[in-house]
Amino acid sequence: MAGLLCFALLMALAGKANADASGSTLMKVALVSGTGPVAVIYPDIGEPYFTVFAQLIGGIEDKIKMRIVKYAVGQNEDIADLKTTLHRQNIKVVIALGRQGMKTAASLDRDFGVVIGGVITSPENNLHELPVNSLSPDPALLFSHLRELMPAARRVFTVYDPHQNAWLMRLAKQAAISQRLELVAYEAQDLRSAVLAYQKILAASDRNQDALWLPQDSTTVEDSSVLPLVLHESWSRNLAVFSSSLGHVRRGVLFSLYPDNAALGRHLGETAQEFLASGDYGEHGMVLMREVLMAINLRTATHLGLDASPQQGFDMVFPEQ
Amino acid sequence: MNISIARYIVAILAAIGSVVALAAPESEEEALALAYGDKDTVSIATGGKQTLRLAPSVASVITAEDIAAMGATDLDQVMETVPGVHVSKLVTHNISSYQIRGITGNASNPQVLLLQNGIPMNTLYRGDKGEEWISQGLENVARIEIIRGPGSALYGADAFSGVINLITRKAADTPGTEFGVRGGSFNSRNAWVQHGGQWGAVDVAAYLNVGATDGSKQIISADAGRLHGATLAPGPENNGFDAVDGSFNLGYGKYRLNAGYKLRDNAGTGVGPASALDPVGKEKSERISADLSWKDPQFAQNWELGYSGSYLHYHEESIMRIYPPGTTFTTGVLPNGVLSGPGRWEDQARVSGYAAYSGFSGHHLRLGLGHDNLNLYKVRTLRNYYIGTTPGPQFGVISPDLAFNGGQLVDYSVRLPHLTTHDRKIDYLYAQDELKFASDWRLTAGVRHDNYSDFGGTTNPRLTLVWDATLDLTAKLLYGQAFREPSYNEMYGINPNSNGNPNLIPETIKTLEAAFTWQARTDTRVNLNVFRYDMKDVIRSVQNAVPGTGSVFQNTGKQHGSGLELETTWDASSSVRLTGNYACQESVDEATQQDAGYAPHHHLYLRGDWRFASGWLSSTQINRVMERMRPAGDTRPAVPDYTTVDMTVRTDHSKSRWEVSASVHNLFNATGLEPSLAPGTVIPNDLPVVGRTVWLQVMHRL
Repeated sequence: MAGLLCFALLMALAGKANADASGSTLMKVALVSGTGPVAVIYPDIGEPYFTVFAQLIGGIEDKIKMRIVKYAVGQNEDIADLKTTLHRQNIKVVIALGRQGMKTAASLDRDFGVVIGGVITSPENNLHELPVNSLSPDPALLFSHLRELMPAARRVFTVYDPHQNAWLMRLAKQAAISQRLELVAYEAQDLRSAVLAYQKILAASDRNQDALWLPQDSTTVEDSSVLPLVLHESWSRNLAVFSSSLGHVRRGVLFSLYPDNAALGRHLGETAQEFLASGDYGEHGMVLMREVLMAINLRTATHLGLDASPQQGFDMVFPEQ
Repeated sequence: MNISIARYIVAILAAIGSVVALAAPESEEEALALAYGDKDTVSIATGGKQTLRLAPSVASVITAEDIAAMGATDLDQVMETVPGVHVSKLVTHNISSYQIRGITGNASNPQVLLLQNGIPMNTLYRGDKGEEWISQGLENVARIEIIRGPGSALYGADAFSGVINLITRKAADTPGTEFGVRGGSFNSRNAWVQHGGQWGAVDVAAYLNVGATDGSKQIISADAGRLHGATLAPGPENNGFDAVDGSFNLGYGKYRLNAGYKLRDNAGTGVGPASALDPVGKEKSERISADLSWKDPQFAQNWELGYSGSYLHYHEESIMRIYPPGTTFTTGVLPNGVLSGPGRWEDQARVSGYAAYSGFSGHHLRLGLGHDNLNLYKVRTLRNYYIGTTPGPQFGVISPDLAFNGGQLVDYSVRLPHLTTHDRKIDYLYAQDELKFASDWRLTAGVRHDNYSDFGGTTNPRLTLVWDATLDLTAKLLYGQAFREPSYNEMYGINPNSNGNPNLIPETIKTLEAAFTWQARTDTRVNLNVFRYDMKDVIRSVQNAVPGTGSVFQNTGKQHGSGLELETTWDASSSVRLTGNYACQESVDEATQQDAGYAPHHHLYLRGDWRFASGWLSSTQINRVMERMRPAGDTRPAVPDYTTVDMTVRTDHSKSRWEVSASVHNLFNATGLEPSLAPGTVIPNDLPVVGRTVWLQVMHRL
C-alpha cells in the first residue's frame, strides 16, 4: 500500500515536472512511461520461439490491463543497468519468462516480486517461495485425455531422470490414482539405462490396457535413439504413446498437450496481480501447466483402433494432409 | 533492511540458483523445443487453429513462408514449383496456362479450377480464370493448396486436370498492421497494407494493394500481321497493367465472411488478341466477390453442419487493335487497322450446404448439395470489321464493312455479336463416405452428380484406398472421374471461324493413380506419384464437312497420358532445407497417335533455403524444363530445353518491425521459349520467357 502511494506521488511529481518543463499546465496522461508496477523480462530470441513470448506477453497484458514494461534480455545482460531501470519505473513485480528471463531475475536482489514462467526446468528441491510456472502439462490432464481416448487404459509407463523430474513423478502418481490409473515409473540417470528401461516396458506392455508417457526429460527422451525406438516398436505392438512434447505428435505419438500461450500469459498476469494485491503468490513452487491445448495424430489413432475424428474439436491434428 | 526481508531474499536466490543449476537442456531453444516442438510445429502452435482440408487427392501445400522464400510475387511463380505443373503462356492477353500432367493445348486454360477460399473464380466466357486475369498477387495469401488430378467428385466442373485453392489471410495470420512497398524491373511498383485484429468478438482481416507495371517486353520476331501485309514485328509484347486488390475477412462465432475486389486496368494485350502485336490495345477486368459461410463441427452428437452462399461479379472489356493499319484482306484494306472492343458482364450466385455424420462406427459420411446460377447477362461487341457469314469462299473472312462502320469502332451487337447472353443453372448433390474397414486401411468413396440447365447431367465418382503400411510409409490408390463443362464461348460463341455449339457435352477424364509418402528419416520426406489418365470428348474447333461453312466446336478429341512425380524435402541442418521435385509425363493425342505436344516431358525443380546468418534467410531455386514436342501438324523442331535460376534474400522479421527482401529471377538471363499453338504459322518463333528481373521490398509492422 505504501509502495502504491509512493508510486502515485512519484507520478504526480514527475507529471508536474514534465508539465513545468514543457511549459504546459495540463498534466499529461502518459508520464514517465505511464506504466503499471509490472515488468516482464524475456529472452532475446529469434523465431520461431519469439512468437511464443510475444503471445505470453499478450496474455499478461490482457489480464493486467495496464501497460507493462518489457525487457528482452540476452546472455550478457547488464544486470545493474536493468535493476536501475526497474527501480526508476517503480516496478513491484517482475514476470520472468524463459531460462534467460529466469536467470536474469535471479540476479535481482531487491524485493521485487518474481513470477517465473515459460520454463522447462525442474529443481531438486521444490521451491517454496516463488511460483515457477512450468511448461510441463499437468499429468492429471494428460491422464484424463488418455482415458477419454482409450477408456480401457489401466496402466501408464514412463521413464524419467530423477534429477529433472522426481518432483513431477510424485505429483503424477497421485494424479494417476485419481484417474483410476496405475503409474509405473522407471528411473534412469543416463541414456543407456533409459533405453534399457524402454525396451523392458515395450516387451512387457499389454496393448489393450497400457500406455507409455514421454515426459519433458532431456536425459530419457532423446531424439535420435529413444524416439525412433519407441515410435517403431509402439507402432508394431499397437501400444499407445502420449507425450508432454508437441513435436512428438507429428512424428507419430498419439497425442500431446501443449501450451495455450495466451491463456498461460493470463495466468501469469493473474499471479502477478495477486502478489500486488496481497503480497502472496497463491500457488508457488513448481506449478504445473493447466492452460493447455491438445494435439492428436489421427493416423496413429486409427492404427491403434481408437475412435477419434477431427470433429471432436482437437486443437491440432496431424498428419496435416 | 530487516532480517525477514533478508532471509526472504536469500531464500529466493537459493531457490533460483538451484533451479538454474539443474536446468538440463543446452539452450533456450532446446528447452522450448521440449514443449513446443521444432520450428515447424511451433509455428502451427502459435499460428491459430489449423484448417482441416477436405480429403485431398494429391495435394501440395504452399505456405506464406514458402512464398516469401521463393521470392514469388505472382501465383504463376508458385505454380511452376509444384511437381507435375508447368506454367506456359498463351498468346492472347498474356494469360498463363497451368499445364498439369501434360493436359493443355487449349487456347485458354479451362481444365484447371481456381478457387478462392473454396469459392470458384473461373469465369464463364472460356471457363478459365479469365481472359483478362492478368495477374494474381500473393501478399494476402495465407496458403495455397493444389490438387493434381480430378476433383469433380467434390468440386464439380473444371476440376479436371487440377484444383488450386487460394486461402487468404484471416486475422490470426497477420496480427497487427503491416505496410509493404515493392519496386523492380519494368517499372513494377506496388504498395499494400494489411491488418488483422479483433473488434470485440469479431476477428477482422483487411488488405489493400495498389500497383502498376510497364510489363515485360519480350521481343516477338514474327507475328500474324506478316500474313496480312502489315506487321509490327519484330516488336515487344505489351504486358503492362495497373492493379488494385482488396479483401476483407470477418469471423464471428461460426460465421465467416469474405469479400474481395480485383481490378486490372490499362492492361496491354500481350502478343496481341489475334497473334499480331498490338501496342495500342487496352483491356480491363473487375471482379467483386463476397461469400458468407457458417460451420458447426459439433452441431449435435456426431453431426457437423455447414452452409454457405457466395456472389461474384466479373466483367472484362477491351478496346484492341487486332491488326495494324495497312493490313490487307482479300476484301480490302482497313486504314485504321482492324479494331475490336468486346465486353462481357457476368454474375455468379451460389448456395450450398453439407452435413457430416460420424455416428456409424468406422464410417464418416458427408452429404452436400447446392445450386449455382451463372448468368452472363451482358455482351458488348464493338468492331470496325465484319466476318463473312455467307457460306462460300468469303465465309469467316474479315472484311472492312466500311459502309457500316466507316473504319471506326461501332456497335455490332445486332448484326454480329460475338456471344449471346445466357443464364446457366446448376443443381448438384454429392455424397462421400470414409470408412475404416480394417486396421490401417481406409477407403474413401465419393460421387457427385451435377445437373446443368443447358447440357444435362454428369456423374463423377472417386475412390481412394489408403494403407498406413508402417509408421513411416503410407500408400494410396486413387481413381477419379472429372468433367469440364463446355464454356459459354464453346456453346454460345458467334464466330464463323470457331462457332459455338449448343449441343456440346462435357469433356471427361478418368485417372488412376498410386501415391506413396515415405518419411525416410526424421529430416527427410519422399513422395512418389504414378498416374495414368484418359480424356475423351475433348472440345476442339473442327472444320465443318461442307467447305466454306467455317468451323464449329465439337466433342471430338481423345487423349491419354501417364507419368510420375517424385518430390523430396530434406532438412540438411537446422539452417538448411533442400526441396526438390522431378516430374515426367507422356501424353498422346489419339486422333493422330502422336505426342499431344506443348507440355514438358521432363521437369526438374530444386530449391535450397539457407539461414546463412542470424536474422538473414536466402533461397535459391533452379528450374529446368525439358523435352517439349510439337503436336501433329506442327513441323517446327521441338522446343529447346531451358533452365532458370532465381535467388531471394530477406531478413528474418521476428523481432524487428522491419523486413527487407530482394530477389532476382532468371539470374543468368537464360533464353527460354514457350511454344505457340500449332501449326506455328502465326507465331513461328514461339514466345520468349522473361529475362532477368529484380525487385526490392520493404515491409513494416506497426
